[in-house]
Amino acid sequence: MNIRVPVSWLRDYLKANIAAKTIANLLSLSGPSIERVEKRGDDYIFDVEVTSNRSDAFSVFGIAREANAILTNENIKSELISPKGLNLPLEPDRTNPLTLDVKITDHRLCPRFTAIIVDNVKIKPSPAIICKRLESVGIRAINNIVDISNYIMLELGQPMHTFDFDKIKNHKMTLRPSREGEKIKTLDGKVQKLPKGAIVIEDEGRLIDLCGIMGGENSQITRRTKKVVLFVQAYDPQTIRKTCQALAFRTEAATRFEKGIDLEGIVPALSRAVYLTKQVSNAKIASELIDITAVKSVEKTISLSLNKLKNYLGVEISVEKTTKILGLLGFAVKTTPQVISAVVPSWRILDVKDDVDLIEEIARVYGYHHLPSNLPEGQIPQGGESDLAGVIELKKALKYLSLTEVISYSIIAKELFELSKTKEKEAVELANPLTSEWQFMRPTVLVSLAQVIAENQNIEKDIKVFEVAKTYIKNEGDLPKQDLMLAIAWQNADFYQIKGLVENVFEILLRIPKFQKFTGENHLFEKEEVAQIKVGESLVGTCGILNDQIIDYFNLEGQVAACEINLSIIYQLPTFQLSYKPVPKYSAVIEDISAIFNQKTLLAEIIAQVKKAGSPLVKKVDVIDIFKDEKIGKDKKSVTLRLTYQRSDRTPTQEEVIIVREKIIDAFSKSFQAIIRR
Amino acid sequence: MDKEIKKLATHARTGINSASVLADLEKIYLEIFGKSGTFTNLTKQLSSIPKSKKPKIGQLLNEAKKEIEKTFEQRHNFLKKKRPKEFIDITAPGKKLKLGHLHLISQAIDEIVAIFSKLGFSLESYPEVDWDWYAFESLNMPKNHPARDDWETFFIKSAPKPHFGSQVLTPHTSNGQVREMEKLKKPPIRMLNIARCYRRQIDVSHTPMFHQFEGLFIDEYITIANLKGTLNYFTAKFFGPKRQMRLRPHYFRFTEPSFEVDVTCGVCQGSGCRFCKSGWVELGGAGMVHPKVLEAGNINPHKYTGFAFGWGIERTIAIKTGIGDIRLLYQNDIRFLEQF
Repeated sequence: MNIRVPVSWLRDYLKANIAAKTIANLLSLSGPSIERVEKRGDDYIFDVEVTSNRSDAFSVFGIAREANAILTNENIKSELISPKGLNLPLEPDRTNPLTLDVKITDHRLCPRFTAIIVDNVKIKPSPAIICKRLESVGIRAINNIVDISNYIMLELGQPMHTFDFDKIKNHKMTLRPSREGEKIKTLDGKVQKLPKGAIVIEDEGRLIDLCGIMGGENSQITRRTKKVVLFVQAYDPQTIRKTCQALAFRTEAATRFEKGIDLEGIVPALSRAVYLTKQVSNAKIASELIDITAVKSVEKTISLSLNKLKNYLGVEISVEKTTKILGLLGFAVKTTPQVISAVVPSWRILDVKDDVDLIEEIARVYGYHHLPSNLPEGQIPQGGESDLAGVIELKKALKYLSLTEVISYSIIAKELFELSKTKEKEAVELANPLTSEWQFMRPTVLVSLAQVIAENQNIEKDIKVFEVAKTYIKNEGDLPKQDLMLAIAWQNADFYQIKGLVENVFEILLRIPKFQKFTGENHLFEKEEVAQIKVGESLVGTCGILNDQIIDYFNLEGQVAACEINLSIIYQLPTFQLSYKPVPKYSAVIEDISAIFNQKTLLAEIIAQVKKAGSPLVKKVDVIDIFKDEKIGKDKKSVTLRLTYQRSDRTPTQEEVIIVREKIIDAFSKSFQAIIRR
Repeated sequence: MDKEIKKLATHARTGINSASVLADLEKIYLEIFGKSGTFTNLTKQLSSIPKSKKPKIGQLLNEAKKEIEKTFEQRHNFLKKKRPKEFIDITAPGKKLKLGHLHLISQAIDEIVAIFSKLGFSLESYPEVDWDWYAFESLNMPKNHPARDDWETFFIKSAPKPHFGSQVLTPHTSNGQVREMEKLKKPPIRMLNIARCYRRQIDVSHTPMFHQFEGLFIDEYITIANLKGTLNYFTAKFFGPKRQMRLRPHYFRFTEPSFEVDVTCGVCQGSGCRFCKSGWVELGGAGMVHPKVLEAGNINPHKYTGFAFGWGIERTIAIKTGIGDIRLLYQNDIRFLEQF
């Protein structure tokens, strides 16, 4: 959270003759960060980022305390001055003090409760300096009493509240958890319907305070107020947080209560409030101090070995310097030659718990910028490069194969999810989606790629894109299956183009793919234009033409060829080893052979026949051409194969080649009823 | 014999000069000088003639060979030089093969991995839907801890598992920390985890899905100075040696001390402008691994220390390239993608 700190206000407590900009720079390096320095009139305003653990620094005085420690450590003369009135004795100024009857039903809700009544109050505008300071941090000045409560919160970080004493029925207060559905009209005029368990105060039949968040309108200070209850507490941070979450409503006070309050700072804050009330409205103390403490704060001492400190910092800091730094931060320090013992100040008790926390305090004030910078040494871990290094290489290769990489959201809309026809029991669904646009973890990347093509098809033709991403399939009782997929979509390409690309991909992956008839359930591809891809016995992917349902859903022009390949499985499988084969010494005889086959005769079978019949002379069979034509006949195709006849001891003779060729032709006509084209 | 040689030479010349294409020329050459070529056959006869005539015939053969070869070469050059010469406009566009494009995120990942692998870090991968235990609890963030509010977390509809808790979409890459400790069982650890992360927020600088990279380094005697050294090395390589790096105190539950890492602004070079905070831009968080996190990963915090850092890749890209709205990265407009 950020707070705004006027530098002129800061200088009330920080006596250091040094420029605002220097203070800002040094604070940023060693304490809360000054994100911006804003010039406002003749003053500067610091915009300070305070981390949630540093409840002690959510105030002007807290920042002054930090700055004093940091400046002093940088050898800049500096002194910390406490606000006036912190130790003001809280004794009634009159003989027959007023009373307020306080009952707390559950002390866990309120670790410390203090209040005091002042009377003789005259409501008027605050002095100019208070108005100016409040306004410079964005709080509207209201009147001298209400302004004091805001002023104290900004100054000391302790939120406080003020009631009109005369408006509290029977001068009775019961602090209790709220019941579900109870209502209170808060100071902003809004009616809050409360969840169960918010902390509230009831006088007699009425809620008068939504504790820690905002006071009730019915007991607020008005122009006619004469007697004021000054009210300073600590509340259970978790309860305040839960209430704010339930109400979706948070105030500056609540934010501070959520982070935790310095229990020892409560009475000084009340004293300071009384002091200021006396100053600005001539008020008199009209009651005894009410101080109900449920938790006795215990002193906490932390020991830190100097050796450990050195091992963390990579440099040795003298005991004197260490002691001085901790002392400036409010720690009471004792040292032996090996160990520092530090008593944690009450305002740091929630934050500083272990010796590593002490190390942080010493190191940051000493200055991270003063520490050396060294690359670590030591052994490099065992275990080789993971598969992911291969993914980067694969992506680069695809780029050089003219594909463009996209990265789309892994969370998809319900409609897209349904398009994938994934079974409900396999769905990985978000319990708290941001919008319906992002509701399911996608079971396939292909729907997203189809969408990318749809969104770009008016800009460019024949889009060819890929994405590498995980997909998610529910796995009852365990984490979802999250395999890394390579998906490719290619507009206006046919099956053989995508198959060729997949073959290229496998050459890059150093695995040998087999394309088989698709046997599983398939909701993305055309039934007759899809193949499953195997490496060895493992199913590793699918490729084919996206079906009409997807084309229609996205209004895609033309057909889209696509594939999805499971890299997680592939990387588990062995790569093929490239081995040396001698380059043939004698030239080969190469000839083409054309024949007409039935259209459905598979090329794999034709080639297998050639190899069988032609062995061992035929070393290589390439498919040169396939074409279909009415002239050849219906359901027929002409296939031209290029055969390589080769021997290792000499060039094959014409006679040898003829014999083998005849065997092949014979096999063709016997097995496939094929007709040779001469 | 002399006559035969002369006859052969004349015949060869005529043949060679009649060849109209290179292939024919090669064929004729083989007919003369091949294994059973006419000239080769003549040379074979040399052994059967009287000794006294040998030098003269040999010389004649040599001369004839030279002459035929010269004719062959001339003809060869003649046929070769037949390609007509054209005017070439070297400023006309070349005929390129089409290249594709890598997404900016991948390019950044590639650079980051290359830099850290030189320091012995290896790239690992962990679930993106993970247990609450790895995403929060083992990282010193117990249930209901307010620190969790900083991570606007998506949950998955599924039954929680004892000890591991609910399933979440990892809001950061730090879920890899304890997983890596469990995997290796014993330091040294030098892990780099790059993954998609998810948070419930969207605006100019946030998308519900984004990428983080996480470094984890655990060994004996690892110091803040080592963390500084490592991050200085990275920022100098990634952003260039002119950009400076600094650590500021920060707060994360899983590191102690914790830092925010800044680099000097690339726009104003550190003097302060509207794109930065007083000359600095935040890169991300870092810190010394909290002893409780080491304990959660079964590593003895009295023996080992370490550091970790986790930064958004989109942010580093924005800092480096000046892309203001990171949502552009995921709109997949082909005109954007093809720029890189």
